[in-house]
Amino acid sequence: MLELRIHGRGGQGVVTMAELLAKAAVKTGLEAQTLPFFGVERRGAAVKACVRFDQTPIRIRSMSYHPQVIALMNGNLLSYARIDGIDPDTYFVVNAKEPLDLQADQWILDAEAVAIENNLVFGGEPFINVPMLGGIAKVLNIPLAAVEETIRGHWSGKKADVNLAAARQAYEQIKKYEGGCRQ
Amino acid sequence: MSKRMDTGNAACALAVKAANVDFIAAYPITPQTTISEKLADYAAAGELSGVYLPVESEHSVMSAVAAASAAGSRTFTATSSQGLLYMHEILHFAAGGRLPVVMVNVNRAVCAPWCLYADHQDSVSQRDTGWLQFHCASHQEIYDTVFLAYKVAEKVRIPAMINYDGFLLSHSMLPFDTLDQETINRFLPPYRPDWKLHPQWGGTFGNVAAAAEYSAYRNTLAEDTLKAADVIEEEARAYKDLTGRWHGGMIDVQGPQDSDVFLMSMGSMSAEMSLVAEALQAQGIKAANLKVRVYRPFPGAALRQALPQNAKLLVFDRNLAYGHEGGALLMEARSVFYDSGKAVKIAGASVGIGGVDLPAAMLTEKALALLEGLK
Repeated sequence: MLELRIHGRGGQGVVTMAELLAKAAVKTGLEAQTLPFFGVERRGAAVKACVRFDQTPIRIRSMSYHPQVIALMNGNLLSYARIDGIDPDTYFVVNAKEPLDLQADQWILDAEAVAIENNLVFGGEPFINVPMLGGIAKVLNIPLAAVEETIRGHWSGKKADVNLAAARQAYEQIKKYEGGCRQ
Repeated sequence: MSKRMDTGNAACALAVKAANVDFIAAYPITPQTTISEKLADYAAAGELSGVYLPVESEHSVMSAVAAASAAGSRTFTATSSQGLLYMHEILHFAAGGRLPVVMVNVNRAVCAPWCLYADHQDSVSQRDTGWLQFHCASHQEIYDTVFLAYKVAEKVRIPAMINYDGFLLSHSMLPFDTLDQETINRFLPPYRPDWKLHPQWGGTFGNVAAAAEYSAYRNTLAEDTLKAADVIEEEARAYKDLTGRWHGGMIDVQGPQDSDVFLMSMGSMSAEMSLVAEALQAQGIKAANLKVRVYRPFPGAALRQALPQNAKLLVFDRNLAYGHEGGALLMEARSVFYDSGKAVKIAGASVGIGGVDLPAAMLTEKALALLEGLK
C-alpha cells in the first residue's frame, strides 16, 4: 500500500484535490481511499487529508502516521507534517520555488506560478490544488490521461479547460531534487 | 451494477434515491449535511420520486417523517449528534406508533464541549427509544444497509436507524458498487402498508390508552424488537443470495470461528479491527474480528452461538456509559454471557471518544494489555 498525506489550509481545495487524485487512481484499476481531516473547519486553518492506494480493498479507518509521501501546499506547513510523523525515507512534494531545507527527496513545483499562468486566480488568490494534483500524479506515476479524464468528470466547459491546462503544465514542470536541500 | 468512487454520504444518498422513498424531511447538521444536500439536488433535478421537505428543526423533521409514515409513505431523514438528541421525544413516538421510518445517523460526539468528530454517544443514548440500530464499517455496507433497513423495518413495523462514523466514513472516499434498479426493486418493492391514515377513512392514531392497553402495546414492541433479530438474519441472507454481498447478519465473525480471542467493536473501528486480529495472529494468538452490525436488538443469541467455550472476548466501545465501568457494548456483552452456560472471559475499554484516532497499532497494544489483564 502507498500512503500520501497532504497538508494544506482550509480553503485551498485540499479535500477536492485528494478526491480527484483517488478517483484518477481508481480509473487505473487501483483501490483507493481518501480520509480528510478538517481541523476546526475554518478558512486558513491547517487541514490535512490522507490518500491510500492499494491492490486490495482498504480496511484502514484512521489517519496516516507513516506515509511514504507527504505533500505540502506550502513550505510553511512542514511543522505540521513533523507533528504527524515523518519516516526517514518519506519523500516530499512541495509547492515552492526552491527545495526546502530538509534532508529528504523532494519534488518541487511552483504551483502558484502554474495557477497564475492558467488563470486559476479567484479573489486575488492563486488556486493551487489542480496544479498540485498534476504534480503529485506525476510523482506517483498516475498516468496523465487518468488525471485528465477525472478533471473532465468533475468540471465541464471552460472551467475544465483551464484546469486541464494547469494539470498538464504541472505534470511537465515538477522537478525532483534527490537527497534533500540545495543540490 | 456500476463501480463508484465517492464519499459515504454520497453512497447513502444514492441508495435512498434508489429505494423508492416517498417522503424526505431534512435539516442540516455536520457531518450529515451532504446527504440532505445531495437528496435536495436529486429532488431539484427531478430524479427523486418522492417529496423533499426542508423544515426548521430536527424535532420537526422527525414529526414530519413520523406523520408521513403514518399516512402510508416510505420515509427517510438523516441527522447527527445534537440533531438526533433533539429528535428524542419523537423517536419514542415513531417506535411506539410502529412507524417504519428509516433514518441515517452519522455518528458524531455530543456537546459539551462542542466536537465535530465521531463517537457513538449520540446513538447509544437513544438505545431505549425502541428503534432498530444498524452500524456500518464501509461505504458498500452503507449502500447495502439502506435497502436492508427498509425491508426489515417495514416487515416488523419498527423504525430503523443506520449509523456510520462521521468523517471517517461520511467524508472519506472509498469504492463501492451500486445495484441496478431491477435488483433493488426485487429485494425492496414499493411500500404497501397494511394500514394508513387517510382523510376519507375514520379513525384516530396515537390516542390515550389505559394502563392495560398501553402496557400490552409497549410489551409487544419489546417482544417484536427481540424477534427482529431473526428477520435481520433472514433478510441479510436473502440480500446475499440476490447480490452476493455479505456484511454479516446481526454480527460478522471474520477469522477462525474457533479462535481463542474475539475482538468486538462496531462502526468504522470494526474494519480497522480486522487488521488488529491479523496482528495478533502474527504473534501466535488465535484471534478473530467480531463486528457488531446490529446494536438494537442486541445480538445476544448470535454472540452466545458464535463464541466457543473458554473464549476471551475483548470489547471496544466508542461510547461512555456514565456511572458504569466500561461502555455500552461491554455492559451488554457481560449480561449476555452471565448464566449462559458458556465460560467466556470478558474485558473491554472505551476508546476513540470525540474522534480520537484509532490506528490498528494502537488498538493492538490495547488488545494485548486487555489480554494481559485477563490472565
